[in-house]
Amino acid sequence: MLSIKDLKAEIEGKKILNGLSLEVKAGEVHAIMGPNGAGKSTLSSVLAGRAEYEVTSGSVTYEGKNLLDMSPEDRAREGLFLAFQYPIEIPGVSTTNFLKTAVNEKRKYLGLDPMEATDFLKMMREKMDYVEMDKSLISRSLNEGFSGGEKKRNEVFQMAMLEPKLCIMDETDSGLDIDALRLVSNGVNKLRNKDNAFLVITHYQRLLDYIVPDFVHVLYKGRIVKSGDKELAKELEVKGYDWIKQEVEANS
Amino acid sequence: MLIENIKTAFTQYKDQAEVSGFSALREQAYHEFEKLGLPTTKNEEWKYTNLKVLANTNFESTCLSSGNVKAFLQNALLNKITANKLVFVNGTFNAELSEIIEKDNSIYITNLAKARSLHAEIFNQHFGKYANIENNALNSLNTALLSDGAFVYVPTNKTVEFPIFIVNIADSSDVNVLNQPRNLIIVEKSASVHLIEMYYSLGSNSVFTNVVNEIYANENSHVEHYKIQQQEGESYHNNFTQIFQEANTNVNHVTLTLDGTLVRNNLHFYLNGQNCNSLLYGLYMPHGNCLVDNHTRVDHAQPNCNSNELYKGIMMDKSVAVFNGKIMVHLDAQKTNAYQRNQNILLSDEATVNTKPQLEIFADDVKCTHGATIGQLDEEPMFYLRSRGIPEDVARKMLLNAFADDIAEKIKIPELVKLLEEEIEKKL
Repeated sequence: MLSIKDLKAEIEGKKILNGLSLEVKAGEVHAIMGPNGAGKSTLSSVLAGRAEYEVTSGSVTYEGKNLLDMSPEDRAREGLFLAFQYPIEIPGVSTTNFLKTAVNEKRKYLGLDPMEATDFLKMMREKMDYVEMDKSLISRSLNEGFSGGEKKRNEVFQMAMLEPKLCIMDETDSGLDIDALRLVSNGVNKLRNKDNAFLVITHYQRLLDYIVPDFVHVLYKGRIVKSGDKELAKELEVKGYDWIKQEVEANS
Repeated sequence: MLIENIKTAFTQYKDQAEVSGFSALREQAYHEFEKLGLPTTKNEEWKYTNLKVLANTNFESTCLSSGNVKAFLQNALLNKITANKLVFVNGTFNAELSEIIEKDNSIYITNLAKARSLHAEIFNQHFGKYANIENNALNSLNTALLSDGAFVYVPTNKTVEFPIFIVNIADSSDVNVLNQPRNLIIVEKSASVHLIEMYYSLGSNSVFTNVVNEIYANENSHVEHYKIQQQEGESYHNNFTQIFQEANTNVNHVTLTLDGTLVRNNLHFYLNGQNCNSLLYGLYMPHGNCLVDNHTRVDHAQPNCNSNELYKGIMMDKSVAVFNGKIMVHLDAQKTNAYQRNQNILLSDEATVNTKPQLEIFADDVKCTHGATIGQLDEEPMFYLRSRGIPEDVARKMLLNAFADDIAEKIKIPELVKLLEEEIEKKL
């Protein structure tokens, strides 16, 4: 589904990704871990299409297409979804209107008619249950006055509405208490199936107790320096990142 | 040319007028105008707003309307709202198009010309007492040559059930027209009212509308006052509103400037008692070569009052906006809270905004803030919407609508807000 080859990217002249490669197939969950400043958020930004990051070399192929050539909206309509680390508040844009526009723009892109209003509302009700989202939140402006946990639940709710193929979760666990973490993770687990894939970016192992990954990669200095299964995450939790840093320094 | 047209009009008026105190005020106002002349850009208050084009145009100040005003009004938004309507066409009261549905006879909703004789005592007590003519050429001009306007009197403890629309239509089908509406609103103790001033135009010649509003809010009263400017084509519009608040009053004002070649809004609040709340909201979205100038002034003359001001602009093409917000905190006005913000979004490299917040504070225990921003739409919300599959142009529209609707929603009549939001959407 996703093939990243020797990706190098920088922002304002500062090199962040230094030859990152990663293969993700349908049905898989990959966790990307790493210390602060390793390039985790840059990876998600580059994949989602933030203009301020410049890709200097390498390639990203998504479903056989060159992802880097696409606008952010086309990436989304092709099935890529980024759950933001810090979802912003957009006063004056209602959650319902926003989602209706997003869902129908995707349908238009795929050559489908807009959804009937009643079908759309039914779908909203169903998908809100995935993350036990309070019904009153959707009539409010997007994320305005939402708590940290409500914002993250709203991200997973949007994910459920847009039914993406590739979900990138950028430190979704940051700022969440244990109850909110469980709700968000349950939502994600309900969405997992053999046709979609998840890239779960996190600093801590905690989230991976709930969203169990098939692969765990360690990102350091803009490259993946170690890969393993879920046991690697547990090892990192116990030992921290220093031993990996030392290993990398010794090899270079 | 305008000055000569005014002179002729005033001479004609004097020949017809009966001798009364009112005439004396008009005479005084005319001389003030003659002395001052039209403001020029040398005047600091008019630095960015040039009226030269008016001076070089001929305007008729008493002319009939030949356009189909009735048909025009049928399609207007106010036709969709249950309300009291006072309609003026080229400054003349039109009884046929007006409609008063308020049942309480103690509430007067009528035209000024009628009120002057019918409710002479109230009229004489308030008329010309709030809008200053000294050193104000356009107020003087209005006072000297005013045509007609709304007269609203809400007695103590009364609530006007339905909103009152004051509709001015300038019909320039035949010639360039000068309209000078004059509205007098008196809201007595513990009374309340919703007022909506609306300005429309039809015809293809030039229109110069010069309005003066005097609004008096007696103790404990509540006034909702909205001004909606939708004059299209070659239309020049100057509006002076003086709101005079006694103790414990709440006034919520919203100005929406949706059209017009040159629009100058002068909004003045005078807080004459304690515990007043004054809210000032404005939205302007000029296009083409249009200019919108909002000059506001809030006089905090007494302690323990709050004023809050937010003006927003969406600038298109080569348009120009001026915002000048003055807050005067007088020596006695301790514990004043006064806030002011002006936010502008530029959609074109060729648009200009001149913004100037002005605080003059003579009391020492006050909280006052002001701020102005001029910029593009924020990148972050844009990226968020696009990352959900919403194309850039649709996302931009959603964000601009949200920015503008924030002001429209300060209007407390939901069905009117809905209609205005549709108008706003059409402009973007």
